[in-house]
Amino acid sequence: MTALVSHLKLLEDESIHIFREAAAQFRAPVLLYSIGKDSTVLLHLARKAFYPAKLPFPLLHVDTTWKFHDMIAFRDRTVKELGLDLIVHTNHEGLARNINPFDNPPSVYTDVMKTVALRQALDAGGFDAAFGGARRDEEASRAKERVFSFRAAGHRWDPRLQRPELWTLLNGRLGKGETVRVFPLSNWTEGDVWRYIALEKLDVVPLYFAKERPVVTRDGQLIVVDDERMQFEPGEKPEMRKVRFRTLGCWPLTAAVESDATTLDEIVTETLASKNSERAGRLIDHDQAGAMEMKKREGYF
Amino acid sequence: MTMAALQEQVAVEGLAAPASQGRGMVRLLTCGSVDDGKSTLIGRLLWDSAAVLDDQRAAIEHASQNRAVNGEKIDFSLLLDGLQAEREQGITIDIAWRYFETTDRRFIIIDSPGHEQYTRNMATGASHAEIAILLIDARHGVKRQTRRHAAICDLVGIKKVVLAVNKMDQIDWSESAFRAIEQDFRALAASFGFEEIKTIPVAALTGDNVVRRSSHMSWYGGATLLDYLETVEPEALSPDAPFRMPIQLVLRAADDFRGYAGTVTSGRIKRGDRIVDARSGQSATIERIVTMDGDLAAATKGDAVVLSLDTDIDISRGAVLSETLRRPTNADVIETRLVWLSESPFDPELGYLLRTATDLVPVTTMSVSALIDFETLESKPAHNCGVNDIADCRILLGRPASLDLFRELPPTGSFVLISAIDGATVAGGVITWAQSGAPATSDNVLVLNRELLARGVCADLGNSPEDQAEFQRRAQEVAILLRSAGVPVSIEI
Repeated sequence: MTALVSHLKLLEDESIHIFREAAAQFRAPVLLYSIGKDSTVLLHLARKAFYPAKLPFPLLHVDTTWKFHDMIAFRDRTVKELGLDLIVHTNHEGLARNINPFDNPPSVYTDVMKTVALRQALDAGGFDAAFGGARRDEEASRAKERVFSFRAAGHRWDPRLQRPELWTLLNGRLGKGETVRVFPLSNWTEGDVWRYIALEKLDVVPLYFAKERPVVTRDGQLIVVDDERMQFEPGEKPEMRKVRFRTLGCWPLTAAVESDATTLDEIVTETLASKNSERAGRLIDHDQAGAMEMKKREGYF
Repeated sequence: MTMAALQEQVAVEGLAAPASQGRGMVRLLTCGSVDDGKSTLIGRLLWDSAAVLDDQRAAIEHASQNRAVNGEKIDFSLLLDGLQAEREQGITIDIAWRYFETTDRRFIIIDSPGHEQYTRNMATGASHAEIAILLIDARHGVKRQTRRHAAICDLVGIKKVVLAVNKMDQIDWSESAFRAIEQDFRALAASFGFEEIKTIPVAALTGDNVVRRSSHMSWYGGATLLDYLETVEPEALSPDAPFRMPIQLVLRAADDFRGYAGTVTSGRIKRGDRIVDARSGQSATIERIVTMDGDLAAATKGDAVVLSLDTDIDISRGAVLSETLRRPTNADVIETRLVWLSESPFDPELGYLLRTATDLVPVTTMSVSALIDFETLESKPAHNCGVNDIADCRILLGRPASLDLFRELPPTGSFVLISAIDGATVAGGVITWAQSGAPATSDNVLVLNRELLARGVCADLGNSPEDQAEFQRRAQEVAILLRSAGVPVSIEI
């Protein structure tokens, strides 16, 4: 067995315990796979939890059609190599209405292509539990989450009515119309995720490593031009800069950071020394005060 | 930390300290009455120990100006209170989890609400902590909510408490006032099982004795809060505790593989050891301890593993694997102390389920015998309990479950009580006494024997012929009630 730094070993065991509790108690779980570093760790822990058996649930990727091309390639390679069962869902109705991150405000785009899409996919699959890679250290409202986060009918989160969750006893009895989001990485930090990826030698999307990429600067944020759908402002021209991503989402809404970190070693060092929080690069989180909490109330994971 | 340093640390730790000893990570609770300054204290701790990132600092400074709660000062509570309603009302509703690390230690901070209304959230937080920081406002001293929170910390098994006497700046840094509060608290804490109580005078708003040593209290020579937290030993582990592993899942894989997945909750097991399922009495030898990183020779407390056995025994989720000598009790009558968490009070007519480590058992009968009085901290006889009460209850289970006493083995001695109707968690509690009153029978018939009845229903009866006749009559009545509730019963007196 790989020797782990002591607190990473504790976190790993805790996450495996959560996966097994959920698999034992829910009828039809699904793992929300969003391809990034957290999903990579989430998937790895899920495989550990059920080894040597196969994963007892499928993966679900909500594809907005605006993910980085490297992400989709990585997703397809991972699924093939590990022999996983993947469901890809896109909100085609939103696509038909041409909802996109350039012509619509981030809140509208996110609601239609991510939140509504997720609800559609969960309802269509009849899933009663969805594993997500959210961590409590990411954002203020996520710091308030339970491990089993109950959602009323319509996937609404009511932070005032969260279930008590004592010791490691996870109560998965559902009330009428309720579903659950399960967060096995609740107690992990961004630093833990990178240290774990390094120790377990996990493969991640190349966008996390610094490289010369075509970049435009908007409102102080660095946007990497990933394909020809980019809508330039007057006078805007992409320039090549050495950048990487701390978090991955839809490319027009995810800012890069300037960095020279090209190895996991350097990423760990950079992350632990960082002066800004990781979601500073998520444009949708800053749309308005309490933005994440509002999205969660509406059914965002 | 560089990878080289990290690997060096791994190498050292891999040899010296088994990872599951938990020294690398400490879980802290902050609790106390409303307005005693819990969120401010933690905010200050994070702010001064450089655990707050630049964009968060900027956001908090901006939000503080908007609220202007402390005039020009930073409102540290904004670091913790993440919900809209909390920011609007300036109170903490639900627990907030924060993470930070110093060179010595990784901390998980669980900030809990002080309002009585949100005690269920405080109890949730407390159950995850090893150390509690209990705040007291120096101007007001020990309050009812202080006692309630101390009682809940004790109930969920916290052994170490830091009493942080806050707002010392408001009482002119008075040593005598601090000593009086300390004395009050030590007196009330005598009712509990805390092993260590550390008292520290602090002023969270100004940061005195939080991270930085105060220049106003030269009479205090002890550790600052951060100093103490960095050096306190979180958990004393008994290395020879009996082995327990509640089964979460049975896993099947290729080549007829069949394994039992679970987390070792106490003790240690190695390949070749004999184990037993206490409920069925079946035993077997451990053939493999399986993980995705390869088979292990041994597993200890905290390890999430899969065990494969030399013979197939018919056990499933809910069973507790143990060593052959020191087994859990195969209990169907338990006495408990619990904290009631639901807005709906206890109702003996409603159906409840008892959720232990991995088992879920219907409750046949439940009765309240006493409540803790939060003024005196004494148990007073009672028959009802409601939200935020701490009660002593006796619970009869529909079938036996493998259990331990909480004071001996907390992970297999704790439970939550679940409403059979809507699945809500209505109470959390610990097992203080357990008995296998009814021997397990193949068809789960509840056996009412003399001992079972003599403990409660017939406790007032002696050996006279009249009393014995009454004993019989009550036994019949109990059996009738149980059968009407769908529980198969046989009387063996």
